[in-house]
Amino acid sequence: MSTPIASSATGAFRLAVDIGGTFTDVVLMAPDGRLATTKVPSTPDDYARGVIEGCRQILLRENVAPSEVAEMLHASTVATNAILEGKGARTALVTTEGFRDVLELRRIRVPRLYEPLYRKPPPLVPRRHRFEVAERMGPRGEVLRPLDETALQPIARQIDAAGIEAVAVCFLHSYANPDHERRAGEVLRALLPGRFVTLSVDVLPEIREYERTSTTVINAYVAPPVSRYLTSLRAGLDREGITAPLFMMQSSGGILDLETVLQRPALVVESGPAAGVIGAGYVGRRAGFENVIALDVGGTTAKASVVERGRYLTTDEYEVGGGISLSSRLVKGGGYALRLPVIDVSEVGTGGGSLVRLNAAGNISVGPQSAGAMPGPVAYGRGGVEPTVTDANVAMGYLNPVAIADGTVAIDLAGARASVISEVAAPLGRTVEEASYGVLAIANALMARSVRSVTTSRGRDPRDFALLAFGGGGGLHAVGLAASLGMRRVIIPPAAGVFSAFGLLYSEIEFAQSQGFLAPLDAAEPAALENAFAVLEAGVLHHLGRPADTIRLRRRVDLRYAGQAFELAVDMPKGAFDAAMRDALAAAFDEEHARTYGHSLPRANPREIVTLRVIGTVIAERPASHLAPRPEQREAATRPAYFGEDGWLDTRIVERHDLATPLAGPLIVEEPDATTIVPPGWTASLDDGFNILIDQTVEVPA
Amino acid sequence: MSDPTARQSGETTDPLLLEVIRNGLDTVADEMALILMRTAYSAIIRDSMDYSTAVCDAEGEIVGQGLTTPMHLGSFHDAMRHLIREYDGDIGDGDIFIGNDPYLASGQHLPDIYIIKPFFHRGRLEGWATTIAHHVDVGGLVPGSNSIGATEIYQEGLRLPFLKLREDGVDDPKIWRIVEANVRVPHLVLGDLRAQVAAAEAGVRGLDELYTRFGADRTRQALADLHDLAERMARHHIAAIPDGVYRFTDHIDGLGDHPEPIVLNVALTVSGDTIIADWEGTAAQVKGGINAPLSFTKSNVYAALRSVMPQEMPNCHGYTRPITVRAPEGTLVNCTLPAPCGARGITGYRIIDCIFGALAPALPDRVTADGAGGSTLPTFAGRLDGKPFVFSECIMGTWGASQDEDGQDGVPHMGSNQSNAPVEMIEAGYPLRIEYYGLVPDTGGVGRRRGGLALRRDYRVLTDDCFLGVRSDKRAFPPHGLFGGGEGTPSMNVVEDGNQRTVLPVLPTVPLTLRRGALFSHVMAGGGGFGNPLEREPERVLDDVLDGRLSREAALRDYAVALDCEGGIDREATRAARAARESVS
Repeated sequence: MSTPIASSATGAFRLAVDIGGTFTDVVLMAPDGRLATTKVPSTPDDYARGVIEGCRQILLRENVAPSEVAEMLHASTVATNAILEGKGARTALVTTEGFRDVLELRRIRVPRLYEPLYRKPPPLVPRRHRFEVAERMGPRGEVLRPLDETALQPIARQIDAAGIEAVAVCFLHSYANPDHERRAGEVLRALLPGRFVTLSVDVLPEIREYERTSTTVINAYVAPPVSRYLTSLRAGLDREGITAPLFMMQSSGGILDLETVLQRPALVVESGPAAGVIGAGYVGRRAGFENVIALDVGGTTAKASVVERGRYLTTDEYEVGGGISLSSRLVKGGGYALRLPVIDVSEVGTGGGSLVRLNAAGNISVGPQSAGAMPGPVAYGRGGVEPTVTDANVAMGYLNPVAIADGTVAIDLAGARASVISEVAAPLGRTVEEASYGVLAIANALMARSVRSVTTSRGRDPRDFALLAFGGGGGLHAVGLAASLGMRRVIIPPAAGVFSAFGLLYSEIEFAQSQGFLAPLDAAEPAALENAFAVLEAGVLHHLGRPADTIRLRRRVDLRYAGQAFELAVDMPKGAFDAAMRDALAAAFDEEHARTYGHSLPRANPREIVTLRVIGTVIAERPASHLAPRPEQREAATRPAYFGEDGWLDTRIVERHDLATPLAGPLIVEEPDATTIVPPGWTASLDDGFNILIDQTVEVPA
Repeated sequence: MSDPTARQSGETTDPLLLEVIRNGLDTVADEMALILMRTAYSAIIRDSMDYSTAVCDAEGEIVGQGLTTPMHLGSFHDAMRHLIREYDGDIGDGDIFIGNDPYLASGQHLPDIYIIKPFFHRGRLEGWATTIAHHVDVGGLVPGSNSIGATEIYQEGLRLPFLKLREDGVDDPKIWRIVEANVRVPHLVLGDLRAQVAAAEAGVRGLDELYTRFGADRTRQALADLHDLAERMARHHIAAIPDGVYRFTDHIDGLGDHPEPIVLNVALTVSGDTIIADWEGTAAQVKGGINAPLSFTKSNVYAALRSVMPQEMPNCHGYTRPITVRAPEGTLVNCTLPAPCGARGITGYRIIDCIFGALAPALPDRVTADGAGGSTLPTFAGRLDGKPFVFSECIMGTWGASQDEDGQDGVPHMGSNQSNAPVEMIEAGYPLRIEYYGLVPDTGGVGRRRGGLALRRDYRVLTDDCFLGVRSDKRAFPPHGLFGGGEGTPSMNVVEDGNQRTVLPVLPTVPLTLRRGALFSHVMAGGGGFGNPLEREPERVLDDVLDGRLSREAALRDYAVALDCEGGIDREATRAARAARESVS
């Protein structure tokens, strides 16, 4: 990276920017695939400022003219933050008469047992702004009571008087017949010019009123802040001369154009984590691994996701603010239900900053309380006094005892050790290294829960996967975690510290539409089904607005055994909906059911179609990325590091380049933005994509 | 990389390793719960989630539990002891047990069926994967098998002692056929049983991974240490409760058309680090299906006391060691054969409410005023397109207020963390239409902190001759307030058929049949308030009025807060009204 990447390049550059809590990460890709990266501080008062600053810096450094940027890709937490911080729009909800409390009553269940003082999250729309209209559809789309249009006028007046910016409309059974919702939308848009009005049938035309209402409300609630942010960003980029079209990552892994994001901002709520998974899929595939588990270890959380046969898995059981962990899948209610496809990222509250606490009864906990960015771990010397996972890593010699992050963060080794001793080691009668090693084992066990949540809980065996770890702490925990799950290979990609931004470069423009379609699989009317799919496909093509031969269309069907409440999605091949097709769908569903739940039922049991989906992807060629690490020619060095039963070992400190020849652990790979631990019994090497591959050593070399 | 945090077995497990293993156990139990929910067929399991999963040690004591139903979980212990005693020497790898009877299998009531699989590691019995699920029907007098009117358990449906559903890896088709022949909706019940089997198998797989990874001796020792840790933590927290005898009396409204109050009476003796819950003075068992077997009573006492202890305590059986439950035989809370138990859930909820009521003076900042009383289990059954249907759901209400917060609206009773069924799913699958589902204003008990609002759900029947069952309560004895807070409003069940309006008893003992077009309006109780209502901040009262939770009239009547015609607080009038009220009292 010492020479600007513009030097030999011609053609289109692509810029990718991911906003994190502390840093905004920027990656610039040259037409031949070479990469340049940078990090600038995030600017929470107006995130657009940091983004523009990062773009300006990297273009200047790499000697690329703003006009040479052909595409700008972006992931941001602006929608999530609006929800988590309660700073979304003043929002109104219009519902069927008798049902305005559906949003607040949720599904009743709470995410905690034995907690009489539990408080559920307040609804995004307070009761006073939830309005009811006389109308009613039946479950088969039959009109049971016509829409009372005149009732909408006083409601619009109240909405106007209350200073409402966004309105969500959700009527019962609108997935089966949207007429009333559409008409109410027309009337309200006419009466409330300039206000954002969104209909559940446009956001999520699927059965289950609470989930549909909540998703539609989220769409309304985040629309004004997302719109303000993107308007400001667009204007800022234009001022810099970056006029390239702007695309945003959606939670499901594809990217979306600006127009769509403005209409359906709920689609981009979890854009950052999705980008990392896309990157992991690309790196894994290139390194020869179709099955990888992506693990992102940050300061407060660890997130795991699965890429299987080159494809990532999605879930639609997400709750904003509730995380997607194994327990939240089981006991919902901790956050705000968002029933849109989200890459299945399972999160646990364990990261470098997680606090380690021992209570009077001798019970030790690691997280979920975190020291956060401030004060941070004791080792960072910013006023932290309670030991964290990072302090345990420092005490064992895993992290550089002088400074990390390219020398920008000084490390207080004595402070880290002292905190582990006083809080954990001394009360347990252990040495500081024994206690630290135990803390690491607990942190790994917690992170293993997130991995299990996307593997064993979905019928997958983690041993069939390679572990691809990134984020600040990925390299510190990866091998220990892999070992605890019986996984035998670990991959640490380059640019691990800006990996989500990197992943954006490999995402594809994608748009999906779904439609509730309740029918028995064996009795569904072929013409009706084909017609519903054709409508969806036409909608997707129209939306993408490109020639049909540049778009790959995929049909999917959500199926269940008649009587079950949960569906599984399977791909539907092209062709007539005949007996052979029904058998093929049933077989694909059975296979997925058996894999996920351990059993399937004989063909005689009826299966039901619940939802039809069409996903359109714009076909695009992406150059192979190329990011050569910078050789530093440092002095050969070692330092003692603690490896449990093996005790303290004098451990070589190497950089990524040194692994061109495979080396056996123990090793510590130090890089500006990450540290990787290779324990004894594991061997590290480098592949031609500059990934560190760490494998269990079969024979210890002499 | 081997795990060096571990020490030799025989000595106490390192707390660090213990935490690692504990996480592993809870993960296994959660995975079991997830599989059960996803593959179940009946609404009551898949949507309402009335089931539980746990992993037990070799003695059958819980060491890890799924995030499921507290009132189930504490009873696994007695059921497992029963099973182990009965099958000692005849428990093999590849066996799966089934059972449900309160008397023959230490069960809870007949709809709750246990499916239990032993876990063997290297040929030795090391533990159990256990599941219990509420089945939508097990035969008996009424659809749903929750007949309040049953007078003996023989009328309640299929009774199963512990039997081997599978022996040495081979299913016993006779048991499946007996179940099939005895229930109204066999496709649902058999599907749900299969889901339980799948969950139990997953539990055994998960336990095996743990034992393989950490070694049998070390893991076995860790399970024992986990019980000890939970016991130490429980004792620590009981010791912090001031010593004394705390008493509380509550009532179930009573059975049928002419209900007689049924008294529950508890004396909690806190002495050092132990608690005795003594139910002396509780009513004799009744000729109606609400009697609680002792295992169920214990389970509810444990759950209530667990909930005033810290969250991070391991959910293993060890925490119950400092707790003693005494319940005289032949009473509502320790029934004997042939007392019927079908709707015993209501007694379980009341047991928990009694414990909270008793603890309020000792722990005013840890408990809330009384809530709506738990799931009322509305059940509808009949025939649809020639086939029988049974629909049953767990409707839950609201909580009482706490010292700092208003009562929560639309939350499960502490005893059973269950869900409602989606309106659209009900209407798509059953001949019912939900015409109202929401909160009722002016129903929360008054107080400095207001009780939660009552929940109302109206069901329109769209088929002929529809059976209706319901097990409500809290009409004659509505939820109590605390420290000057008022009662919540009473519950109500009304059937409107044409011009005819019939108020149903809280616990109907004769089967009810609704005609096509009839409307069943089900209103739960409001939550109790906490503290003096005249101390409620007028701004909070105004917010309640603006949100339609409180009428202007009630604001003035109950809180002495006057609102002006612009919808703001009339400060002058409010001051005067409050002063007048205080001088009267």
